[in-house]
Amino acid sequence: MQIRKNISTQHFLFLLLAIAVFNSATAQTSKSKVHSDKGWSLFGALTLNKQSVNDAGIHVPVNYLYNTVNNNVFKPGYSGGFRYDGASKQNNYYSLSFAVNRVSAGTFYKNKYTLAPFMEDFTHYKADNQFTTLSVAAHYKMLLPLNDMRKYKFYAVVGPSLDYKISKIAAEHLINGAGNRAFINGDLGAEFDNKGYYVLYAHYKLGKNLTESSANIQMNRFELGMSIKVKDLF
Amino acid sequence: MKQLFTLLIATIVLTLTACNKETPATQTTVMNNMLTNKTWYLDYSVTGAATKNYVGQSTYFVTYLKDGSVKDSDGLTGIYTVENIYNQSQIHVQVKTLNGNPIEQIYDIISVGDSKLVLSKQVASGTPTQLYFTNK
Repeated sequence: MQIRKNISTQHFLFLLLAIAVFNSATAQTSKSKVHSDKGWSLFGALTLNKQSVNDAGIHVPVNYLYNTVNNNVFKPGYSGGFRYDGASKQNNYYSLSFAVNRVSAGTFYKNKYTLAPFMEDFTHYKADNQFTTLSVAAHYKMLLPLNDMRKYKFYAVVGPSLDYKISKIAAEHLINGAGNRAFINGDLGAEFDNKGYYVLYAHYKLGKNLTESSANIQMNRFELGMSIKVKDLF
Repeated sequence: MKQLFTLLIATIVLTLTACNKETPATQTTVMNNMLTNKTWYLDYSVTGAATKNYVGQSTYFVTYLKDGSVKDSDGLTGIYTVENIYNQSQIHVQVKTLNGNPIEQIYDIISVGDSKLVLSKQVASGTPTQLYFTNK
């Protein structure tokens, strides 16, 4: 059932990409359409995720063999949602986005424990490494003076975002007051706007627990995505 | 902007309505999941400075089942519960010998995992014995 859901989401992302390419191609010949940088867009993104766990505050007498839970790599996930691009009267560009993110994350455990002579290298905590979040982001977009800005626009992007886990959290993740649903991110990235038809973007997100937790988790995420104006889709 | 505000409120309401929180039973649930339906073989026992090594030998073993029953290689059968008493996780075991004599024993859980288990056998006086088990 879960596999089916994943497949259908991937199909949706591919559909978005296909529509974007189609719209881009047809727009070259259509001069009647007027495109603006402002307005609502749908977006889809592929993500790479890794989390670092500091379980120094966990005192429950459980053990997880380090080599079985530690996986210090970036793992792929995906996200989709919608965003609003706008500009203030002073020509300050911004975007607000709302997304659903399916995160599959590699996990690096900072602490190793031993119990001589019997056990070597274990952790006291096992973090969820697959979960779903809802996220809200507010980004300031700085227009970069590159190329011909009437055609292609490049933006540097910076701003905060907030993720909230909506999937079921495992008891192992909740133990000893460690469970924390929300984490706040600092986002940094670059965006390429092709005449208002679509935007390609790359974002880096560095996140941490929003509230105090006995197991501090630091999230590292890269997002590679595309957004398309809603009015071009429907 | 009005639409954005409405969407923001809707998102916050949706996210806050779904909740999983730690309960007093969370810790014992996790420990029970690691402990049960496995046979634990004694590898080492340590009393004070004296260490006994049973690795590679015919050794004592005990099985904790999900229905709360326990049986060991000495033929003792009975029931067990995992409890958290004053921040000390314990296994309370009530068994009967082959002759029907009841025995009650409490073990402090030093560490429990999917494949490694360390218990400290409570004694009325003297040095407690630490028992190192492996799930094979």
